[in-house]
Amino acid sequence: MVDTAEAPSESPRREGSRRQNRLQRYRDLRFTEEELAVILLTPVVSFLLAVSFYPIFDTVIGSLHTGYVLEMDPREFVGLENYRSIYGSGPLLEQFLSGDGFWNALRVSLIYTFVSVPVELVLGLGLALLLNREFRGKYFAQAAILFPWAIPTVINARIWAWMFNGQYGVINDLLIRIGLLQQPFPFLARPDTALYSMLFITIWKTSSFMALILLAGLQSIPDHLYEAARMDGASRVRQFWDITLPLLKPTLLVALIFRTLPAFQAFGLPFGLTGGGPASATTTLVLFDHQTTFNRLNFGEGAATATIITLIALAIAMVYVGTLYEPEVR
Amino acid sequence: MSHDSSAFEIERFQWVGKKLGFYGSIFVIALVSVFPILWMLITSLKQPGNVVTFPVEYVPRNPTLENYRAAIEGAPFFRYLLNSAIVATGTAVLDVLLGSLAGYALSRLRFRFKLPVLLLILGTAMLPFIARLIPLFSLARSWGLLNSHLGLIIPYAAFQLPFAVWIFQAYFKELPDSLEEAGLMDGLSRIGVLFRIILPVSAPAMATAAIIVFIYAWNEFLFALTFMTEDSMRTITVGIALYQGEFQYPWGTISAAVFMSVIPLILFMLFFQRKVVEGLTATGKA
Repeated sequence: MVDTAEAPSESPRREGSRRQNRLQRYRDLRFTEEELAVILLTPVVSFLLAVSFYPIFDTVIGSLHTGYVLEMDPREFVGLENYRSIYGSGPLLEQFLSGDGFWNALRVSLIYTFVSVPVELVLGLGLALLLNREFRGKYFAQAAILFPWAIPTVINARIWAWMFNGQYGVINDLLIRIGLLQQPFPFLARPDTALYSMLFITIWKTSSFMALILLAGLQSIPDHLYEAARMDGASRVRQFWDITLPLLKPTLLVALIFRTLPAFQAFGLPFGLTGGGPASATTTLVLFDHQTTFNRLNFGEGAATATIITLIALAIAMVYVGTLYEPEVR
Repeated sequence: MSHDSSAFEIERFQWVGKKLGFYGSIFVIALVSVFPILWMLITSLKQPGNVVTFPVEYVPRNPTLENYRAAIEGAPFFRYLLNSAIVATGTAVLDVLLGSLAGYALSRLRFRFKLPVLLLILGTAMLPFIARLIPLFSLARSWGLLNSHLGLIIPYAAFQLPFAVWIFQAYFKELPDSLEEAGLMDGLSRIGVLFRIILPVSAPAMATAAIIVFIYAWNEFLFALTFMTEDSMRTITVGIALYQGEFQYPWGTISAAVFMSVIPLILFMLFFQRKVVEGLTATGKA
């Protein structure tokens, strides 16, 4: 009843079903499409409003208060005091480049995200190209390659903490055997190598995920394009640059942005691998926030940090929507 | 003649070389991918005294299950596994239910504000988890949901719902219109069409969504760590992450615990690999 008047431009394909719907309504007056849509979507939307949106709102409010959760320390409005205290003192650029606490965590997270994601993308593309053909044992090869992705991040962190162990780790043993090291090296006990190790582990873990998403993109490229190129005598390399890469661009973008938000929120890996150390060298933003909230019990600053993380995540998401959104939802 | 055959030989030689190179690189990549798990297995089978030796022992001498016994006695790992299974299954069921209904409405019904509703649902996938942690923690506490399975199922289901909705609406969009029309002509109501015709043919999408959600819930750490403060309610990821062992170098028992915890995942990946791949690529296709 409501929706017959609106939506004047319908695709011809839908025209038939629309007439059908009108006929139908005489026999079945129970629900119109719109009523049914409201009935089906209300639980989902209210669920998400309660569990996803309300908490964000509450966190933003909390960031303007002290004593955020614990009743023994009642909320007191402090304005932007929490943000000021996270910021510390000094010029912005100086803080960004060498500040500690929040700034250090921001740097770690940015390095972690913007080093690991591009490398994963390139390795994932290589893997996808390798897997994009039929061969014997493909099922098992693919299962093996998917393995790193399936292992829970924090369990993975403990596995690698043992493998990178500075005295008895298998990585040290292997590197000595192939002559790259003379004696065991304490990878996780030095700030620089701890960060590199963490990057190595996340790249190892996530490249396979990238490969799968890219593989789906590769398989959607029609074969006849390659055949035509071969007829024209184009080399394999030429085919890759002129056909594969341009046609894969949308998938590459999706994969890129699909990884950026989780990478920016890394928590389990530093928690299980190094606990954020040594000297905060592997403390990501979320780990820093977690420590602020649960170790130092500073709920106000924790909420302020979470608010900043939300703003950065939304900025990344804007780039996502801006580059990928195509209005084709009917 | 001889010239031809030698050219043939060379070609053949190149062919073999190519094959070897291809299978060789696949083998190396697969080995690098499974090596850490393999290493857990090797470490866990060593005599406790041989775990911390250097140079490292690559084949356990006198392999033993001693580490497994110590791990099982040291912490309730089966209880952790059970908790994870309950939470992950509950989350998957809830998301399949809500996701299929919402996915149906968004893909096959015409109504106002469809695009804003879709963007609202998908938009929640972009919100950082840490910013939802504390408010949900205090909500869970005031409702008595800390240290309960439901206390994790509810947030997990909300976090993964956008992906479930996406998978379902993509699947429903591909179904032919004639399916619904036939049902309506036969005198079914719209709800009847949904439950009698659409949902029964959507088993593939249900499996895909369920598996992706299940793996997420099984692997989640931040909320599981915060919401489950009692040891007996911990999920396996938290149980392993916090497990300290009883010795100075507890790596033998930790390896045993880790290996036990990934056995279900190994089986899962071997049996459901195709579905996992489908689910990943479905969420990846925007």
